[in-house]
Amino acid sequence: MADYRQMWTDLKMDLDKHDLLCEVLPEAFGGVYLSQKNRPQGMDFYDFVVSEIHGVRPAELIEHQKAGGKVFGTFCVYVPDEVIFAAGGIAAGLCGGSQFWVSGGEKVLPPNTCPLIKASVGARLDKTCPFFLIADMYVGETTCDGKKKAWEILAGEVPVHVMDIPQMKREKDIAEFQAEIMEFIKVVEKVTGNKVTSEALGQSIKLINEKRRALQRLYATRKAAPVPISGKDALLVTQIAFYDDPARCAAMANKLSEELEERIGRKEGVFPEDALRILVTGTPLAIPNWKLHHIIETAGAAVVVEELCTGTRYFENLVDESGTTIEEQVKALAERYMKTNCACFTPNPGRIDDIVRLADEYKVDGIIDTNLQFCNLYSTESYLVKQALASHDIPVLHIETDYSEQDYEQLRTRVEAFLEILRK
Amino acid sequence: MGNPDYNWYILFPNHREGLRLNRELKERGIKNTIAPTPRIASTSCGISLIVDEADLDDIKQIITDREISIERMVQVPVQNSWQYRSC
Repeated sequence: MADYRQMWTDLKMDLDKHDLLCEVLPEAFGGVYLSQKNRPQGMDFYDFVVSEIHGVRPAELIEHQKAGGKVFGTFCVYVPDEVIFAAGGIAAGLCGGSQFWVSGGEKVLPPNTCPLIKASVGARLDKTCPFFLIADMYVGETTCDGKKKAWEILAGEVPVHVMDIPQMKREKDIAEFQAEIMEFIKVVEKVTGNKVTSEALGQSIKLINEKRRALQRLYATRKAAPVPISGKDALLVTQIAFYDDPARCAAMANKLSEELEERIGRKEGVFPEDALRILVTGTPLAIPNWKLHHIIETAGAAVVVEELCTGTRYFENLVDESGTTIEEQVKALAERYMKTNCACFTPNPGRIDDIVRLADEYKVDGIIDTNLQFCNLYSTESYLVKQALASHDIPVLHIETDYSEQDYEQLRTRVEAFLEILRK
Repeated sequence: MGNPDYNWYILFPNHREGLRLNRELKERGIKNTIAPTPRIASTSCGISLIVDEADLDDIKQIITDREISIERMVQVPVQNSWQYRSC
């Protein structure tokens, strides 16, 4: 068997504790993913990535470091990866989606902190995730109060740079974010020792746009009925996109899309043509959080689109590639990233517009609006989402949950009842 | 037909050998699924291939012909009563 123990030892991981995670992952992945019927062949690659989740990619990142490169751990879709790659660095999404890491975070965080933050802090403090230990720098942001304080704790472990994300979307806010990106360039240049040239930034804008185009293509196949890929599989692709090599991510997503487009031509799907179609919106579902999708899809409905950070928010809107100076390129970056609609903004009508638009594009029968426990922003915004969807006659179910299996049966009952209503 | 209560897993010394066999089997249309190695089969992490019992003889021949290095083939009970468990 592949033995990464030396690599993990060199990273000073807690091998005994990490071993407990290695024990549950195969069982969970088997139960959630491998139990599905008629999966696309292109999912082989993603099954491989999960099978080697703490091995292959971490080894690539370490090789990059040995060659003098730097690795930046990121936690949010507002951090412009383009800048990091333009400086010869690698950006790796680090959001924690594992219940296994939550208790580590609870040692230092208040209990009423969202599981994503607890898991992210716990993964580092408990030394059970190689990605968290490899990163030379964490790039945080100000998208919620819990995260803002978490960066201060993590700064005791690893250098942290925090990007100030505007909370409104006025012209002056977009200009401020432009300035923030300029400052980020200086930070990245200092850490990597490499200058961010307009040529390099132009190339990395194209690189990340290609990844976005590939994910857009993949999601477009989910508009078909019958849907050619399960929501669980599509979610896995997006989750892995956060830390995979961007060019490989685009190539594999395009290859998978090609297969799905052929399936559409044959009217081949993974659910019956008349299966209920669900849009999931809300807080991110970081890997390996597959709970909600598993509940929905084992109840017979298909998740056909996610208006999530681990969904359309990650890849909708491209950066204008026509800029030739750093100033023009950074302006284009700021404009693109400020089109993403997170509940940290006030007001945030763009998100509701997105949900309504996606519901129409993907012909959904109902929406599940979910937020992680203690996410005040998304939980509060759910009231406005519900109001707006009622005015469009779109049924919605709001769910607040965490990573544990404690509420699994309760959620299953609620989701099944919701689907039953949709069927009537 | 194989025993429906068990799955056959092929274990490898590294992921490269696993991907080689995966490719060879795919080219020949032999069903196989990349999977994380179950703990019951090995305490090491990494990929394994789930294959059908009916194809085992053909697969063994391919492994020999293509000089693919494997650790072993192992039967693992199917978890028919699996209940969701977060990880």
